[in-house]
Amino acid sequence: MRQGPRNAPALTAAAYLFLAAASAVVAFPYLWMVATSIKPIEEFFTYPLQWLPARPTLRHYLAVLEDTRFLRALLNSAIVSTVVTAISLLLSVPAAYGLVRLAGTRGRPMLIAILSAQFFPPMIFFIPFYILLAEVKLLNTLTGLVFAYLSVTLPICTWMVATSLRALPRELEEAARIDGCSDVQIIWRIVLPIASPGIVTAGIFAFVLAWQEYIFALLYTTTPAAQTAPVLMFYYLGQHQIDYGRMMAAAVLLSLPIALPFAIIQRHYRQGRNEGGVKG
Amino acid sequence: MRLAGFGTRMAMGRGRTALGYLFAAPLLFVLAIAILLPAGYNTVVAFFRYNATRDTWRYTGFDNFTALFESDAFWNSFAVTLIWVTGNVALQLVVGFWVALALNRIVRFRGAFSAVLLIPWVSSFVVVAVLFLWIYHPQLGVLNDLLLKLGLVQKPVAWLSSPELAQLSLVLANSWKFFPLVMITLFTGLQDVPGEVLEAAEIDGAGRFQTLVRIVVPLLAPSIATAVLLSTIWGYNSFTLPIIMTAGGPLGSTEIMGLYIYKLAFDAFDFGGAAAASLVLFVQILVVVALYLRFADRELAPSA
Repeated sequence: MRQGPRNAPALTAAAYLFLAAASAVVAFPYLWMVATSIKPIEEFFTYPLQWLPARPTLRHYLAVLEDTRFLRALLNSAIVSTVVTAISLLLSVPAAYGLVRLAGTRGRPMLIAILSAQFFPPMIFFIPFYILLAEVKLLNTLTGLVFAYLSVTLPICTWMVATSLRALPRELEEAARIDGCSDVQIIWRIVLPIASPGIVTAGIFAFVLAWQEYIFALLYTTTPAAQTAPVLMFYYLGQHQIDYGRMMAAAVLLSLPIALPFAIIQRHYRQGRNEGGVKG
Repeated sequence: MRLAGFGTRMAMGRGRTALGYLFAAPLLFVLAIAILLPAGYNTVVAFFRYNATRDTWRYTGFDNFTALFESDAFWNSFAVTLIWVTGNVALQLVVGFWVALALNRIVRFRGAFSAVLLIPWVSSFVVVAVLFLWIYHPQLGVLNDLLLKLGLVQKPVAWLSSPELAQLSLVLANSWKFFPLVMITLFTGLQDVPGEVLEAAEIDGAGRFQTLVRIVVPLLAPSIATAVLLSTIWGYNSFTLPIIMTAGGPLGSTEIMGLYIYKLAFDAFDFGGAAAASLVLFVQILVVVALYLRFADRELAPSA
């Protein structure tokens, strides 16, 4: 405990107070979101404003869940995110293994090149994706979206898996080889099980990225058949009178599928081993 | 240990390197199609003029760039972007730094606090955008209500509809979402600062502030640089929050480059101009990425 010898209870107390205040600032908007989502619309207009609903209602949630366009969009989001996650892992895990464990230092320049693609501004893809997707008739399709999202998820996933593979002691593989394991056995029995936390984290990251992606979905989908949930939220906004109750209910529903994965990966963050890709 | 390392080096001949790249081939192929091809295509488009009514392309050399540099709207968005990035980086750095210090100071509830403080970072942009739109609402918003109740303002503030305040309001919302990234980066860096260093400084009679400025900040420099560069890149890449909350208005006061490019492309159908503008943005980011890789490379030097 490095804090032990540094005795300054006042400073420690100040740290707790500051963190409590910061947590309140962070938590308040979410509490307000939930409070709004269960507040009857009449109570929006009371003066002075009542922060907590006097007569809580699930009306807004029902309105959202009865909206077939929203359900369709949620389904689209789920499909796109799942497919993107699967493809991202299928491509990035073998690639990371090959570049880190097989090519070693010679794989490093390629890894750096892949990582740097992570920081390409989405704006340079606005037009080429639009034209290319139109050319191959993939505008307004989930396939087109999957393609666009891979440009975002692949570099990040590769880097995250590479980071976890790098931490693997090489002696383990050597020992297994001496024991007569084939390369394939080594990958299946030794490398994958040990690297699995990193792989799971990368998968969750890909899912969350695709789930909340907004820019490409806005640009390349205009029909309900391919619209994802974030874009539909935007259409709720475009309506003449914004229905904030319904909006907040939709926001809560949209946040839920991220909550559980987050609970899993936030431990990874807190370990402080967030290198490279994880930071992005 | 040395021997093992030597043996591994021997095992990593050209054959293994080739095999490694073979494993990576499918990924590299998809990346070539999903990233290199469009990036190259975008560069080509920047030198052509698109005629939306006739659906034809004409080579125009550097005309798109000259047109940009003569356009007031471009320079407006250039300046707005600079303010946006600077404001975001500064705010996130200050808040992230103090939160990281506080987190490093405490022992109990550290996990709980950091879990809560990280939530905005993983929240979706759209959710954050509509949430702050609602909080900033001039009549029904909770922020004005709070300020009025506390007597800090006399009448409701037009957070997003006044040119003077809109940028500030967006920076606040965006920094709320992004400060956890800076916080966690600096917190990670702080854990590498040995506690003895801090104690020694205190025993030597250095004041707390002095310790902070003379010892902690220099030791944290690599982490601070990483945090600054990351939030700079994210600042340049911003899009979702501003387009939902202000769409660049009022009077272009929040029209960062991303929105300017979007409008050129999909409102004016000036594909060539938009592609050229995206290249200008890209060059700005490349400078930042070059810096980032220098630091990231140092931090991530292979340990094996």
